[in-house]
Amino acid sequence: MANHAHVNIADFGMDTISLAGTLPQKLAAIRGAGFSQVMLMARDLVGHAAGIEDAVQVVKASGLRVTGFQVLRDFEGLSGHLHEYKMAIAKSMLEMCAAVGAQVLLVCSSTSTHATAEPDALARDLRKLAMLALPLGIRVAYEGLSWGRHVNEFTTAWDIVCRADAPNLGIGIDSFHAFATKTPLEDLDLLDPDKIFLVQLADFMWNEIKSVEERIDTARHFRVFPGEGVHSEALAELVMRLDRLGYRGDYSFEVFNDDYQQMPPPVVAERARRSAVWLGEDVLHRSVPLPGRMRLRRGDNTVD
Amino acid sequence: MQDRTDRESLADATNPLGLDGIEFIEFSTAKPQAFGQVLEMMGFRPVARHRSREVLLYRQGDMNIIINAHAGGLPRSVQPSDTPVIAAIALRVRDAASAYRYALDRGAWAVATHVEVMELNIPAIHGVGASRIYFVDRCRDFSIYDVDFTLIPTVDAKPPALTGLHWFGVVQYIGNDRMEDWTEFYGELFGFKALPPEERHGILPKGRVLKSPCASFYLQLIEPEPGILDVDGEESLQRVGLGTPDVLASVTALRERGVGFIESQGVHSETRGALTQSYLGGAMFELVHDER
Repeated sequence: MANHAHVNIADFGMDTISLAGTLPQKLAAIRGAGFSQVMLMARDLVGHAAGIEDAVQVVKASGLRVTGFQVLRDFEGLSGHLHEYKMAIAKSMLEMCAAVGAQVLLVCSSTSTHATAEPDALARDLRKLAMLALPLGIRVAYEGLSWGRHVNEFTTAWDIVCRADAPNLGIGIDSFHAFATKTPLEDLDLLDPDKIFLVQLADFMWNEIKSVEERIDTARHFRVFPGEGVHSEALAELVMRLDRLGYRGDYSFEVFNDDYQQMPPPVVAERARRSAVWLGEDVLHRSVPLPGRMRLRRGDNTVD
Repeated sequence: MQDRTDRESLADATNPLGLDGIEFIEFSTAKPQAFGQVLEMMGFRPVARHRSREVLLYRQGDMNIIINAHAGGLPRSVQPSDTPVIAAIALRVRDAASAYRYALDRGAWAVATHVEVMELNIPAIHGVGASRIYFVDRCRDFSIYDVDFTLIPTVDAKPPALTGLHWFGVVQYIGNDRMEDWTEFYGELFGFKALPPEERHGILPKGRVLKSPCASFYLQLIEPEPGILDVDGEESLQRVGLGTPDVLASVTALRERGVGFIESQGVHSETRGALTQSYLGGAMFELVHDER
């Protein structure tokens, strides 16, 4: 770890989904590569052999800050018993999210054929979800999945977030989906940086994605870390645009990759680290923090 | 799904639940006798006991306080500790069942109730921290206490309020950057509105004050002091505020009963308000000038 102290990768974290192994092995690999934060998924907790309560202790003992918790799917736009069913799922996710100390819940735009396309109905459901998350101190990040049925870009996701107009509801941006739909990156300038609650970064190895099926397949099996694929320039532009816009939140590497699932977690985490160093040093030119630097709350004397 | 409140043409858009004040405030404590003595100093009188649980009802004027020493053991509920903690606020509404549905339809968490035989099922939602918000609609013809409580023999069931004391509101401590969240919560579910920053009450003018849609009580939201380390702040209902037409007369009357008041350079008794000292490790009461 000694050589890890000389770079600043504090803005970046890993998703557990990139790693094989048990929850403790994943956390150890992420920590070992010098990261200070981790994006968890519900399965990390429910699949932990010693149970959810032990998983929560393992996460807390790791010393890693939890970037966020994923993922609530196909939530918005349903009615009747389908809506009630999804509300129950949402409550369960929120309770785990709170237990593990995550302050952001990631929600992907619905792919359901049963969901309405009516934007105000989608907004109403997300507002209700935000209200459910509110007493728990959780913020909801709504992400436009590139194969979402009615919302599949960050621009349309932003429209729904604005309609819903809840203080703890914002947008989640995933570079993969933006590149897959070829949404112009200039459109990022339309966003309010305080309402971007999470940014997930990943690249992939080919330039064109021809069909929705190929989009899903690529997203779930063939993502790579930033700098490893063919969209490095666009990734650098995306990160620099968000930084110029005033975004100061977290970046997490959302890399689904079947090959990485067959490699030792520390080896994969080291690849993630190279990505973070590239983005932190070469792209964002983050300075090395002074020893003993404190993280102060935002306010009159903002430091962060 | 049809919104049941849409059927009510009487529904007032600015007061969707027909909110009409605070029915009771519930404190949880493992030391009900000790806290009862504090309440008696504050002018409250014990009037009834719960039929099946270690729960007492104190009253003065139109203020009811319930002391709950019953360890329910439910998740996300206040467990009795030596220091009394505000465990619940009960709101008077036009129709408790429809108020409850209105809140759930907008994303409130339902509280699972454990009702014993012949007890009232009072609908409740989760509030800040481990606290609850009850909906009560039986305050006119017969009261909820008639069902669940037994009057203590020989006591006056309607003791008058000392020097015109009445509910003024509740102070809630919130975490960093949570002001907009909680303003939205109380606005969306109950119709509270933020007062303009220049309209202040009492002697502790911090944070933001929300006014109930029935204009009969207030919630004051207070964030941690700026500049402190960004740690996870516990959120809770911190204290109740009592309104009085004459703060100094109330202070004098309460002092005679043994209540101590904080008299420091920053906080001291004056015509705008006063703050009692802290009892049993944290329970305190604020007096606020309020003509009513």
